[in-house]
Amino acid sequence: MHDPDAEDVAKAGRGDRDAAARLIARHGAKLLTVAQRMLTNRAEAEDAVQEVFLRLWTHAGRWRPGGAKFETWLYRVTLNQCYDRLRRRPTRPLEEAAELADDTALPGARLSEKQIGREIANALETLPERQKAAILLCHFQECGNIEAAEIMGLSVEALESLLARGRRALRARLQHLKDFAGDGR
Amino acid sequence: MRDDSSDRIFTDRALAHLSAEFSGADYEAALLAAYDAWNARRADGHWAALRASLRQISESVWPGAPLWAPASAITFALLLGAGLGVALPSVVPEDQPVFSLEQPAGFNLSSAGTAQEDP
Repeated sequence: MHDPDAEDVAKAGRGDRDAAARLIARHGAKLLTVAQRMLTNRAEAEDAVQEVFLRLWTHAGRWRPGGAKFETWLYRVTLNQCYDRLRRRPTRPLEEAAELADDTALPGARLSEKQIGREIANALETLPERQKAAILLCHFQECGNIEAAEIMGLSVEALESLLARGRRALRARLQHLKDFAGDGR
Repeated sequence: MRDDSSDRIFTDRALAHLSAEFSGADYEAALLAAYDAWNARRADGHWAALRASLRQISESVWPGAPLWAPASAITFALLLGAGLGVALPSVVPEDQPVFSLEQPAGFNLSSAGTAQEDP
């Protein structure tokens, strides 16, 4: 299987700036999106992706096409960076996390698009990290289940189970937003 | 199964309210700048490795001396050797007998070290 990034990875490892720029253009924004959704902090997400790319440049010279797809490796490293950073954070009590999800929830009140977005982002933030990662990969990065499972180092069945639990939990946390997008059912 | 399917539809609708991708032209420029810094460090790294190897050789040749001292001594020795090689006459005498594979040898092992007999 041809990996469209393989050639650029090898060139970037040898100091080819154009190849590095192409890799950044192809993956930078996507990785930042995953990191920002995982960490819910722009500065920390930028640091995490910076770290991922630094690791990429360091290992690029030793990259051998034929194993895992490069993009899969990149997402895996990004998720690991995010997990590490989340674990280093001081833990927040569950009640506080629940309050965060509910702080703008006013049952029956009509919420603005911005408020709805914030509610959803908050609800996503309160999900367990692996459920959140599975949802992010499948919904935002449009990864197939097989690819997402490979990125997360899981079997496809385990990923599907994680996804199902994540979606159910997200729905439960957003029950108060019955009328968002004009349809809550 | 139906629940799973309705959860998925719900999630899709919910997540559609979030921006799909964070744009970051400035951020991409910062990533590229970080690449440049890494590349510069890498190039410096090669020179540093070369200097370290030279330093190691220098220490084994002339411990404690600055790098230029053994380098100068080795350079001087090489130049002296080359100069002597060019300047001094050949040590091989002009009248040394010449032999080739086409001609039979002028001696054999059985006669070596014994008095030469007349044919």
